[in-house]
Amino acid sequence: MSNPVGLALTILALPLLASVLAYLMRGTARTARLAHLPLVVGCGTAAALALYLLTTMLDGTAERVSEPVAWFAAGKLRAHFTVTVDALAAIMLGMVTFIATLIAIFSSGYMKGDAGFARFFAVMSLFVFCMCGLVLANNLLLLVAFWEGVGLCSYLLVGYYFDKPSAAAAARKAFLVTRLGDVGLILGVFVIWHACLPGMSPDVPFNPLNLSELFGYVVRHPEIHSQVGLGCFLLFCGAVGKSAQFPLYVWLPDAMEGPTPVSALIHAATMVTAGVYLLARCAPLFAVAPGVQIAVAWIGGVTALLAAFIALAQTDLKRILAYSTVSQLGFMFLALGTSGAISPAFAVGAAMFHLFTHAFFKALLFLSAGSVMHAMGGVIDVRQFGGLRRVLPVTHVAFLCGALALAGFPLLSGFWSKDLILESLTEASESGSPYTAGYFALFLVACLTALLTAFYTFRAYFLTFWGPERIPHEAGHHAHESPTSMTLPLLVLAAGALAVGIVLQPFTHWFTDLLETTPSLAIARGPTPARVVAHHLNWVLIGVSTVLALGGIGLAFALYRNGGADKAPAGLDAVFAASRNKLWVDELYHAVFVKPAEVLAFLARVFDGFLDGLARLISSAPRALGAWARPIQNGLVQFYALSMALGVAVFLTFVVFRISR
Amino acid sequence: MTLFALTKTQEAGGSVALAAVLAAVGVFLLLPRPRGRFVPGGIAALIAAAAVLGAWLCTTFGNPLPDAIGSALFWFFSAGALVFGTVLVVQRNPARGAIAFAFVVLSTCGLFLLLAAPFLMAATIIIYAGAIIVTFLFVLMLSQAEGPSDENDRVREPLYGSFAGFAFVGLVLFTLYQTSQANVPAEPGQTKPDGRLPAPVLTAEERKVLADAVAKLDAPEANLDGDLGTATARAKRAEYFEEIKFAVAKVVGESRATSTDGSLRARLEKEPARDGKPAVLYRDDPQARDALDRARRVRDANFDSALDDLSGPNPEPARAKLKAQVRKLRDEVALLYGMGELPADNVRNLGLVLYSEHLLAIELAGTLLLVAVIGAIAVAHRKQDKGAAK
Amino acid sequence: MTITLWHFLAVAAALFGIGLVGFLTRRNLITMFLCAEMMLQGVAINFVAFARYHANLHGQVFVLFILAVAACEAGIALALFLNLYRRRRSLDTSDWQELRETGVPAATDDDPLPRPPADPMPVLTPAGARPAPTAEEAARV
Repeated sequence: MSNPVGLALTILALPLLASVLAYLMRGTARTARLAHLPLVVGCGTAAALALYLLTTMLDGTAERVSEPVAWFAAGKLRAHFTVTVDALAAIMLGMVTFIATLIAIFSSGYMKGDAGFARFFAVMSLFVFCMCGLVLANNLLLLVAFWEGVGLCSYLLVGYYFDKPSAAAAARKAFLVTRLGDVGLILGVFVIWHACLPGMSPDVPFNPLNLSELFGYVVRHPEIHSQVGLGCFLLFCGAVGKSAQFPLYVWLPDAMEGPTPVSALIHAATMVTAGVYLLARCAPLFAVAPGVQIAVAWIGGVTALLAAFIALAQTDLKRILAYSTVSQLGFMFLALGTSGAISPAFAVGAAMFHLFTHAFFKALLFLSAGSVMHAMGGVIDVRQFGGLRRVLPVTHVAFLCGALALAGFPLLSGFWSKDLILESLTEASESGSPYTAGYFALFLVACLTALLTAFYTFRAYFLTFWGPERIPHEAGHHAHESPTSMTLPLLVLAAGALAVGIVLQPFTHWFTDLLETTPSLAIARGPTPARVVAHHLNWVLIGVSTVLALGGIGLAFALYRNGGADKAPAGLDAVFAASRNKLWVDELYHAVFVKPAEVLAFLARVFDGFLDGLARLISSAPRALGAWARPIQNGLVQFYALSMALGVAVFLTFVVFRISR
Repeated sequence: MTLFALTKTQEAGGSVALAAVLAAVGVFLLLPRPRGRFVPGGIAALIAAAAVLGAWLCTTFGNPLPDAIGSALFWFFSAGALVFGTVLVVQRNPARGAIAFAFVVLSTCGLFLLLAAPFLMAATIIIYAGAIIVTFLFVLMLSQAEGPSDENDRVREPLYGSFAGFAFVGLVLFTLYQTSQANVPAEPGQTKPDGRLPAPVLTAEERKVLADAVAKLDAPEANLDGDLGTATARAKRAEYFEEIKFAVAKVVGESRATSTDGSLRARLEKEPARDGKPAVLYRDDPQARDALDRARRVRDANFDSALDDLSGPNPEPARAKLKAQVRKLRDEVALLYGMGELPADNVRNLGLVLYSEHLLAIELAGTLLLVAVIGAIAVAHRKQDKGAAK
Repeated sequence: MTITLWHFLAVAAALFGIGLVGFLTRRNLITMFLCAEMMLQGVAINFVAFARYHANLHGQVFVLFILAVAACEAGIALALFLNLYRRRRSLDTSDWQELRETGVPAATDDDPLPRPPADPMPVLTPAGARPAPTAEEAARV
């Protein structure tokens, strides 16, 4: 069992097995009630195995690539089923399975009694399988397949309440908007493949779709870097769609229509980070395209600021968290964008560390919100409840931990990871890169975003748990703390959110040390002389971010400690109105994209109607002929015999007179 | 007439005179007078005169009667078939129609007889006129409706139906005309098959020889089962077979090239077949060719008797071979004999052909009959309603 | 004048045609069947005539098979007729036209049949059976 590839494949297989089992358990009501067990057990086992896998990674050995198994081949295009196990994948794998196990335990309490209980867990297991496959894939096409797989699961789970029109619409929107990015992803794969075609020959077993072979080839051949740059940009488009970056972020807030555990697992902790992971995985490719790097950074920065701004005045608790997710993802892209200026390993480390801590505290926040929602009878609007800290003590503590971590309160996990990103930005602005001014601007953007983050996070916190106690009438008279199956994961995650940052990174550097054993990051560093950053504590930065976090929290406390969600600071009414209306981005998209499409669809429908009429006209001719000839079949045997005799007579006449002529 | 050993002239004169005298006596007796007119005697005398004259005419100038009788019978039977067929079609009462159909079948059987198929005549009468018609009359009696009814008093599409049927007949008749001798332009140097039903190929003498041969081969003397160990017994048997073989060879010729052609070939072949070209015949009809073909087969079967083999220590294989040869010769001779004139031994030859060349078809037909019987029982079986039975 | 093959063929064709006309027009199942048999007779004459013409027996063998098949046909047809008659109390083929195209009206006979004169004979009770009492008699007893 110490073979990492075998371990990884076992981890991959367990959720698939769980999915099939859960699907089969739909059959009877008795087994359907127990459908959460396969996921909990399978995913828990997988998490334990992933932890063991991480320990095998600690010795810093090289990556392990599994034996390629041919999936399909078309001409020179060969898709292989092959997985790679390195530190990057192992960290992701551990994070995904661990969070998924906790969320599965939470869901078993949250979803109890739902009609689609077994369906929910079947799709959740399938999602975990696809996500693990996405993490492990060593072949670009395989990666695309799993990428689409997680998209499908997202669609199925967002539309879990498919009889609710808004949920169905949100599922469709999520699917279609991410699809825009996926087009870019596919094109990017083919552009990169095409760029590497000259390296393929019958006697060299080189498959440019296999990542482990691709990276070395790209680094060795500078002449294809421009093409690879284009491919990277297209890959980034896919990441923009999947990770909800500007301008394709609009689907993520709507995706909160799904059950809250889904939001926690898919739309906060794992799937939406797939874009970040893709860029981290392909860091050697991005390393050769600095122009794309700065674009990544800018997109990330704009998204982070924009989403944080929109989150300021939202009143839907889950949407606030959704925008915060978008914003934090923007942070990760910011970090990734610096890898052109500084050591890619450092940038990727910063992004991955934020991804890692974010998974803990954002999952925690979502689950806490789910717990609130559970107690409030499905109400999630912060204007309708308040002062819940005595009703929901455990949830209150958990939410507070998550909020502190997200806001970047000193010493908590979010603080350290955000600090790492800020540090990478400052290092980038001081590097020899041609984009130093841009990186400095982005640093300011990040600081502003950090301030806004602290503010809106604690706005939500104060509105929910402080002020006079208000309980909506949907909750009835039994608003109570959630069952143990739901609070236990909250506590575990809260502990993680508090401790995981300080344990892993600032003083021990365990996380980045482990991550830097990843071979692809070594390739990315390459021969180009990038600025190597030593991991040390930058006290100035720590001071700045502490001030930002405390300032944001203080502002929120001043404004919202007594409730009043619609309150806005004096003089900023217009700004808050813009925030509440999400900067009218949805309306803008509707006017610019949806309306013209509707007009086009209308014209197409008219044309289709015309064609339809034409086809009907043509088809009416044989029908008329049939109507004319149908009475011939009148059921009288003798009439048939007569027709036959007459026919024979006519035929005979023809034959006789033809012969005699 | 040969009793008095008269010459032809004397015989003719005597016959004519006898006829004249008889006629005169008859007329004398019949002439009217007040008394003593013996009418029966006169009529008898006249009939006798006519008979003597007819007999003399037939013996002297040939007999016109067989052709005339054949023609008359043909017209009679075909008219009967068509008239009764029309009656069946137009008859309102189905029972009468069934009777009319019985007459159609009888007329058809007459035609069969004219066409030298007596067995088929008998079989058709038995099966149709006997079994089928009787059964249908039975059903008709079961279902006889009183008064006018839809099925008997109405017809479906009378105009189109008649037109279709007779257009069909007209076309077939026109095709017959097109292909018959009447329409074929005569080309010089070529014999054309005409529609004449061919005369028998074999002469009476030949037929007699062949019949004798068959009889002798069937006779107990031809039996090879007995003990033939002694030379005298073998010689006797060999002599017997030689006699038959010689008689047959006189008709069909011998297989050895140097020998005679046989009376049949001598009579039919103008030029024998040579260099792959078919023989030129005096009368080129299918029957003649068929007869020559049969004759060749008889010739091939005309064995070389190997009776001496029976003297060996193990005579059984030789005996079986010999018996097979005898059997084959007998069958071939019978078939050649049967061709000459079809009514003769029709049943025997029909049976031979059926069970030699059409054995599989016979078996299939038998199976079909069995299936039909079972099917008819299954279909007609009245399903008992158990509730109603109680 | 001698009778040739063509004479027989012509008679056979005529017999076949008459049978065909009967088969196409008559509506009584049994008459139709007899007409079909008549067509078979025409065919049989053809075969026998050719057998005579070619001086072999194959034509006659064919006719034997026709006889066999006709016997089968007669048996099956009789059974079917009995079954059909039991259902509709009639041998009219026009009673059986359900297998027509939907929407096509059934073929019917427009002019009514002349009614048969009423049966003048009195109805007698069958000998040996107790007659069913009328309502009047039952009331009296």
